[in-house]
Amino acid sequence: MQVTEGTKSRNRLPDIRATEIMAAAGARELRDGEVIIVGLGLPEVATVLAKRTHAPRLAALLEVGVMNPAPRDTPVGLADSRIFYRATCWSGFLDVMGMNLHRGVVDAGFLGALELDRYGNVNTTLLKQESGKIRYVNGSAGGNDVASLAKRVIVIMRHEKRKLPLAVAYLTSPGFVGGRSREELNLRGGGPSRVITDMAVLGFDAKTHAVSLLSLHPGIRLEELVENTGFPLHIPNDIPTTPLPSAEELRLLREEIDPKGLHLK
Amino acid sequence: MVDKVKSVSEVVHTIPSGSHIALGGFAIARNLIAVVHELIRQQKRDLTVSQGVVGLDTDLLVGAGLVRHLIMGGGSLDRFGPAHCVNRARETKSLHCEDYTSLSVCFRYLAGALGLSFIPIKSLLASEILERLEAGPGAENVKRSKCPFTGEEYVLLRALTPDVSFVHVQIADREGNCQINGPRWENEEQAKAGRRLVVVAEEIVPTEYIQRSPERTIIPGHRVEAVIHQPFGALPTAVFGCYDYDADHLRLYVEHAKEPERFKEYLKAFVFGCRDHWEYLEKLGGLRRMEELRADPILGY
Repeated sequence: MQVTEGTKSRNRLPDIRATEIMAAAGARELRDGEVIIVGLGLPEVATVLAKRTHAPRLAALLEVGVMNPAPRDTPVGLADSRIFYRATCWSGFLDVMGMNLHRGVVDAGFLGALELDRYGNVNTTLLKQESGKIRYVNGSAGGNDVASLAKRVIVIMRHEKRKLPLAVAYLTSPGFVGGRSREELNLRGGGPSRVITDMAVLGFDAKTHAVSLLSLHPGIRLEELVENTGFPLHIPNDIPTTPLPSAEELRLLREEIDPKGLHLK
Repeated sequence: MVDKVKSVSEVVHTIPSGSHIALGGFAIARNLIAVVHELIRQQKRDLTVSQGVVGLDTDLLVGAGLVRHLIMGGGSLDRFGPAHCVNRARETKSLHCEDYTSLSVCFRYLAGALGLSFIPIKSLLASEILERLEAGPGAENVKRSKCPFTGEEYVLLRALTPDVSFVHVQIADREGNCQINGPRWENEEQAKAGRRLVVVAEEIVPTEYIQRSPERTIIPGHRVEAVIHQPFGALPTAVFGCYDYDADHLRLYVEHAKEPERFKEYLKAFVFGCRDHWEYLEKLGGLRRMEELRADPILGY
């Protein structure tokens, strides 16, 4: 199970929600014919959007052992029968996570994060409160496996200072730990490639492996982004603006993919 | 043909305190609720429990204070909430928790099911999960090593062979041939890793029915020690093709599981206050409620 948090709209465009920009940005990261491990929520929405537009031959895999489902009703999680509906294959962890992910054929995996640090390390295990008290949450499930083994990892999360600290409180899923390369870490997967938030699209510097700004969503100021990020960001001289979803993408998102607005609220 | 059908209470009587039990549930799907309730009623203590992704079944056992050691890969009750009892037990250090990932628990069962003593994996490396395992109760079950052929770095995981594996399935015959409808997470590896294997079936069918589609038999009868026939045996969790989860009861459970005192009230009402699973189903609303939750044959929920 991958954690994906709901995201309230933050941009100041009257007609387009931040979640819609995030879904379209997520979809653009996927190429036709790729094999993707999907989580529920925005990753699922982004994958369906890609499949309905530029990438009709995507293979979408869910860790429980479900491939290419076409749900009619919105599921509450990966164990919900609603996400099993009209799949092309039912198997299990050993098939999806073992003979696909561990085998090395998964091109991209989506992850949610409670915390993500400057090297793309992800925490989904616990939170340290100011009093020092530890609160456990969901843990890894397939998160660490995806982070270790997928050719590239896309994280979708809400942009908040406390969620983007200098170092994670617990390193559940490795990115470029300590700024080291994946080879040095003995990991087969390529590591994090994108972090899509409700303020920006972030990438990773090829040399330092640290988070760098790729594009700012329309209506978001650079100072706001810096204020809401807990680690130093590499910022390019020219900052591109994240493209808005096209009219057709918006129509698909609103009328067909998530008409009740459960993930795009 | 051997008739292996037994009652849940008969089966649970044969399980000593201190056993290692593997549960086949996943979050809010196909949980071993009838079995777990009976383990609680019979107060089987000091259990080791293993499960790939924990569900309500494990949360109940941990909340009832019967688990000493938990082997898991994470988990929650999906959008209904976290596994409060498991998380609280970890925070108060009232149980030893070996925390892995879904795939590494599955691999440990796979090694057990194949009769191997260990299995290499490329997950866990460079993570705090591995560091904590090496420093804690998992130390004797994980080891870093290199491939003798290529020199590649691996984590070696010790095989997992539970004393008793329990799996909840849609249909079985009286001998234990089981068919599972829908995805199967780590059910097959977990079941076949067990030293003993007990099946809970929604429906008992004639062997002739199994013989019509033997390609769907995931666990063959000769591996099964006992078959428990319990319709709605996984409620409030869902069984694909049979019934949906009971969202109202899941919310009620999560509300109670937040507080230890309220959780005791839950146990009193729904576990100790029921002689058996049939009485529990009456408390959940009886036949009327079961009918509401019954799956649509096309949708499966």
